[in-house]
This record gives sequence, C-alpha cells and structure tokens, in this order.
Amino acid sequence: MVQSSNEKYNNPLYLDGQLDENITVIKKILGNSSDLIIRKSRIGRLNHPFALIYIKGLINEDLLNKNILRVLELNRKHIHSNLFDHVYEEIIAIAEINRSKEMKQVIKTLLAGDTVFLLEGVSEAALIGTSGMEYRALEEPQSESVIRGSRVGFIENFKINLSLIRQEIKDPNLRVDMMEVGTHSNQKIAICYIDGVVREDLLQEVLRRVKTIDIDFAPDSGFIEQWIEDNLLSPFPQILDTERPDRVAFNILKGKIAIIVEGSPFALLMPITFGDSLKSIEDYNQRWLISSLLRLLRLFSFYMTIFLPALYVALISYHPELIPAQLLFTITAAREGIPFPSLIEALILVFFYEVLQEAGTRLPYKISQTIGIVGGIVIGQLAVMAGIVTPIMVIVISLTAICAFTIPNYSFAIGLRIVRLATIFAAAILGLYGIILVFIMIYVHLANLKSIGVPYTQSFSPGNLWTLENIVVRAPITVLSKRSFQPFLKSNKKKKDGGSVK
Amino acid sequence: MKLYKNNESIQDKDIMFAVASNTISITILFLPRYITEHTVSSDGWIAILFGGLIALLLGWILAKIAVSFPNEPFLSFASYLVSKPVAVILCFIFVFQYIIISSFQMREMATLSQEYFFDRTPLEVVCLAFILVVIYAVSGSKMAIFKLNILFFPFVVGGLTLLIIAPMWAIKLENLLPVFQTDFKGLQSGTISSLNAFLGFGIVLFYISLIKKPEKAAKMTVLGILFPFTFYIIIFIICVGVFGNATVKNLYYPVFELSKIISIPGIFFERFDSILFIIWTIIVFTTCLMAFDIAVMLINQLIPKLAKQSIIFILSPIIFFLAMLPKNFIQINNIAKYMAYLEIVYIVFVIFLLGTMLLIRGRRTHDSL
Repeated sequence: MVQSSNEKYNNPLYLDGQLDENITVIKKILGNSSDLIIRKSRIGRLNHPFALIYIKGLINEDLLNKNILRVLELNRKHIHSNLFDHVYEEIIAIAEINRSKEMKQVIKTLLAGDTVFLLEGVSEAALIGTSGMEYRALEEPQSESVIRGSRVGFIENFKINLSLIRQEIKDPNLRVDMMEVGTHSNQKIAICYIDGVVREDLLQEVLRRVKTIDIDFAPDSGFIEQWIEDNLLSPFPQILDTERPDRVAFNILKGKIAIIVEGSPFALLMPITFGDSLKSIEDYNQRWLISSLLRLLRLFSFYMTIFLPALYVALISYHPELIPAQLLFTITAAREGIPFPSLIEALILVFFYEVLQEAGTRLPYKISQTIGIVGGIVIGQLAVMAGIVTPIMVIVISLTAICAFTIPNYSFAIGLRIVRLATIFAAAILGLYGIILVFIMIYVHLANLKSIGVPYTQSFSPGNLWTLENIVVRAPITVLSKRSFQPFLKSNKKKKDGGSVK
Repeated sequence: MKLYKNNESIQDKDIMFAVASNTISITILFLPRYITEHTVSSDGWIAILFGGLIALLLGWILAKIAVSFPNEPFLSFASYLVSKPVAVILCFIFVFQYIIISSFQMREMATLSQEYFFDRTPLEVVCLAFILVVIYAVSGSKMAIFKLNILFFPFVVGGLTLLIIAPMWAIKLENLLPVFQTDFKGLQSGTISSLNAFLGFGIVLFYISLIKKPEKAAKMTVLGILFPFTFYIIIFIICVGVFGNATVKNLYYPVFELSKIISIPGIFFERFDSILFIIWTIIVFTTCLMAFDIAVMLINQLIPKLAKQSIIFILSPIIFFLAMLPKNFIQINNIAKYMAYLEIVYIVFVIFLLGTMLLIRGRRTHDSL
C-alpha cells in the first residue's frame, strides 16, 4: 500500500531534514486520517522542536506520556553532543527503540502501533515500541478442552502467543522466523521450530510456500493453511490447527514446524500424519493404559462416524439377510408405515443434524441451548411419532454424531461429514459392496495424500512401524521417550531419517 | 514434489508386503479344488509344500536377477541381457499377461459377489465400480501403491486368521486320513497347480528397480512368499479337514464355503462370510492394482512418449472388456487353467533365459552404461 501510494503521489522515499515537511508527507500518505495523532512540542531548555506521531488506540498512551513526552519536555540539561543521538540513547526511557531513515519503515511502524519520534533538522526517526493494545485475557481453549492439562489457550495477541511458546520451551535452539503476509494487513507470521530437531528440507519447503502467499488480509491462520496445504480437494486437513501452546511446544520438539499468525488464536502445525489428528494432548497426561484405550476408542469412532449410517442403509435396503433375525423383526416393524426408502430417511436425518449443528454453532450460547431442546428433543421425537423416520435411524445418526465428537480436532471431524455423505450414497447405490469400494478409495486417497511433502501415512511404512505405538495406542512415556528426541543432546544423528515426524 | 524423492523412496521391506499381498489373490479361493483334483485325501499339502519351495527358489532367483541391476527398469536390463528386440517381446508378453491377470481377478471377484451376495446387481456394474477405484489408485504415485499394501495388510492378516481359526472346530480327523497315499504323478500335477497360486512373486522383476538400496530385496521376496506359503498349507488342511476331499473337489470356491459354515455367537452380522467378503475385495484389489500398474509401467517403458494417464485410459476399457468376455463358470475356469500353465511356463522360461544370460554376460560394469 505504501509502495503504491509512493508511486501515486510521488512521495519521497527518505525522511527530510525539515520537521514540518516530514509531518506533511506522513499526513499525506495516511490521508490525514483522524486517528493519526501528531504531538508537536519542544525539548525543555533547548527549545528544539520535535514531534511524536502515533495512531490513537494502538499505543499505550500512559507509557508515551510518562516515559517520552514528560522526560523530553522537562529536560533540564544542556546537550552538547549530537542531539538526536542523545535523545535516542539517553532520554527516551523505553527499552524497545529503533532508528530509520526510510519513509516506508516509518509508516509501517506507525501502523503497527509504535510511536515515531521526529526531530527538527534531523532526517532520521526514532521508532519507539509503545504498542499496547487491549487484548483478551488468557482463557481455556474453546475447541480443545482437556480434563487434565494446561488451561491456557492462545489469544489474538501475537506477542503473547509467542511468549506462551517460549514459556513452554526454554531452549536456546527454539527459533522464531518472522515474515509478513497480507498486502493490506501487513500481518506478522512467526515460523517456530527447534534448530537441530527440524528437518532442514521441510523447513525450507515451508518457508518457500509461505513466501508465495499473496493475499490482502488473513483474518485467521486458516487462510495461511489453505494457501500452503498440499491438496486442495482432500476432505482431510493436512495441517493441524491448535489453540493449545502445550500442544505446539510438544509437537515442535518432535520436529514439526509451527506457524503463528498475528490476530489468530490458532497455531498451525506441520507436517502431520494421519495419527496426529486423532491425538489429544491429554493422552500424554493420563496414564498409558487408559490413554491407549481412548486412542483405540477414537480410532473406532473414526470408522463409525464414516461408515455407520451407510452400513445401516446398505443392510436395510440390500442385505436384510445379514441382520440377526430378531433385530430384523424389530426394524421391519418400526419401518412399517414409513413412506421413504432408507436412503431418503438417512439423508433427512443427516441434513437435520447438520442444520442443528450449524445453527447451534452460529447462535449465541443461550439461544443455542434452546436450539438443542427444540431440535433434539421436540423435532427428533415428533419426527419418529409422526412416522417420518424410524427410531433406529435416529439412534444411528445420533451415534454417528457423537462418534464424530470424540475426534479431538474439529477441522478433521468436519471434513469427515463429506466422506460420510459419500459413503451413504455409495451404500444406497451398491450396498455393502459400495461401502467396501469407498473404504478402499479412502485408503487410496490417504496413501496418496501428503503434508508438506511428507506422506500422510508415513507412520505406516515398514521403517517406521514403531511409531504406531504412539498412534494406535499410546505406549508408556518411559518407552516413548527412549525413541523420541532429547533436545539438548547432540546425538540426534542416530535418529532415522523421517523418524522425527511423529 | 520432486524435492522429497528420498522421502518417497520405496524400501526393501515394502517388497515383502507387496509380494505377500500380490501372491494372495482370488486364486486361493479355488486352490484347494485344483489340488484335490490330483491328490488323495489330505495329501495336497505335500503338493503345496513342493509348489511353495519351487516358488521360493524361483522368486529368489528372480529377485537376484533384478537386484543385479539396481535402479534400472526391466526393459533396460533385459535389453542388455538378451538384446533389445527379444526384451521388447518379453515385455509385450508380460504386458499381455498382467492385463489378463488384472481382468481375471476382477471377473472372479464379480462372480463371487454375484454368486453369494448381489444376485440382482449385474456383473458389469460390479466390475465397472471396481475398475474405477482401481484406476483411481493406479493414477496415484507408486509409493502410494506400496503404502496401500501395508495399510491393508492388517485387514488381510486379520481376516485370514479368522478364516483359519473359526472353522477349526469343524475339522473331522477322518477327512484328513489316510496320509501319503497319492502317487508321484498326482503330486506332480498338484505341485504345478499349486505353483500357480504363488506366481504373484513375478512383480519383483519390475518393482525392485524402484528401490533405492535393494540389497535385501531377495531376502524380502522370500519372506513375502513365505507368508502365503504357510497360509496356503494351513487353509488347505482345514478345507479338506472340514469338507473332505470329495466335497472340496466339487465346490467352486471351497475356501469361501469355509467362511459360510462359521458362526460366531453374539456377533452383529448374521453371516460371517459378508465380513470376509470385505477382505476378499481388498485382496483382489491389491492384486488387480499391482497387475494393472505393472502393465502401465511396462508400456511406459516401451513407449516413453505416451503419458501415464493416457496409458491408463487405453488399458482400462481393454481390461474391463476382457473381464466381461467369459460367459460362464466353465469358461472362466478353463481360461484360468490355461493361463496358469502359460504363466508358469513363461516365468520359468524368463528366469532361465535372463539367469543364464546374466551368468554369461555378467553384471553391467560402469563403463558399459
């Protein structure tokens, strides 16, 4: 934006010696915006004019008044050395301070919420780190709650988010590479990894992809995810999003790369494999037996949520002989008087469920409870009583929905809806055979899928079969840590190639 | 993603899974029938033992030939060994063979499904849906094909284990006795019949070139054959033990009939064979997929200019059409038998030819490249 206005208005690239000239240019570039505050004053005793420029609301005004404006105006010293250097080094009582001669840099700093200090007769500006916007307090993550584990989630504040990761990993090898995206928003994004643990080729690939991002504004890290992911058509996310700093820390210690986007409470983790989406950080916090059982339960739920409604449709419409006789009688009795074939019945309920879920997500919390009552109890029960759907179908669809909720990653779970729908149609067309074919297709797709060039099913290759102990089950921590990487030890050369991606 | 070739490379252990899942094909469903035709009571296991041992030897030699030319496609090293025109002919016969295998597998699976499950669904629909999925898989990367073998392996092993364990109670000892009654001629024919079920190891000739460091490939091939080897012997004994020699001879799919007698109390599905049908579809899928893939790969070597997608586009209607050609069980059965003999003769011929030439000409030295 600055670049284009430079061309448009032919603005100077560098600061001028004249204070007023500089102010006019800055005003012109920012279009004399009303929240642009220009405070002109004079340094005490010397009577030398200076100006402080900032954007209202973005900065901590208290800090500005006390540590800059006041000390400058109340100056009682005679200064014999270079005045600008003296102010820069000694008077301004703020730790984060930079200097620049470039107009572009000045404007950028201004927009980022810092204060620009200009002095008459000096073609240089001091850029003072006063940014201090209001932010949300640290809260428990909404999308990934745990019973046992840290209660802190990321917030919209970039600096806080980064410090949360630093707090978890006090390792000198933790690297944070800053980049900017958004031609209009100029958002910072941080690429975090542990030097020596991360695979260099993966890091370069991530950096290369991030550099190609060409958007105006990223409201959330989801924009970044969709820009750098491998396969646009896949229902499975190839990049993991998480609200939990402990999960990010845990994963980057395993050699993954995290991306944090300014203004987004969701960090991105890459590359991931199939198992990562089915893991919850709590698995590691609870003891291994129960965690393993829960992992198996989740894996089972994953299959249930995809195949259960389809299986029911297939059995009812094509293979009633496969259902045990007593159950078949019950189902047939229930289906008596139902006007729709089982496919339509399933579709009605799936549609109904999706609508309820969507309505519940978008509405304010208090109304969404009403939706639950109206939708779940009233319509659900009445639809059965009115003879539109069978109670067994309601059970099947509810069970499917509940199974989907056991998947810890929301993005992964919602992708499965598409697969579920496809399976229902396949079952309606070819019965059990159709389900088998869809099952094979899902596997073919997963085998072809990649996350940042790493196969999505990496853990299922013969060299890495040991990683399954951490996917299908969760082996005891003492066993896991033997193979997992120790950050400060240099012995990571022993590790197998690709083994760091767990 | 050329950047990650090293990531994608196929390891020698992958060959083990590929050989195992390619060898276990639909053939196993009627293998006991083929063997009991020539043998008395339960003596067929001796035939399978001999067949398996021969297969292990052949597979080992075949892998050794391929390993001698690391990272070199079949056509290239075959041309070096037996001159270009002969290699091209060999290649064409292989293409023909794998097209037939792939369509035969598909047809058998469709027949099975029609016989036991979907008597109203036309064969064409079953095959069409199946081949579409196979096309989808062939269009993906080679690595994905190997990965699929591994992903499906637990299902295959699990299903086959169930198939072995569940009918144990129905074995009657009198069906298995007396032993060692078959004469040499019967055993000979039985061995040849059983060898047919092991021919899946032929893929190593083409797939070893994809492995970066194929040192252990021969060992892995042997291990890969050992899995179906053990399984065949066990399933044969169970099959004869449950049904008796005379019945097995007259059942079209004796192994599948085995799954029909299983009943597990408390299981949701009334019929156990429907669960096993999933496993059979997967088994046929992997075999059909690899056969299709090798056919595509060989054509690609013969005509490098033709894009992979267009080869798939040309081959898939041919495979579909061939699968629809036989009119009834008898025709399929006859074709299967002739094909089996031809395949055995051909693979032995190729091993003999390439092996002898390798001994005469030696490995390719660096300057002759």
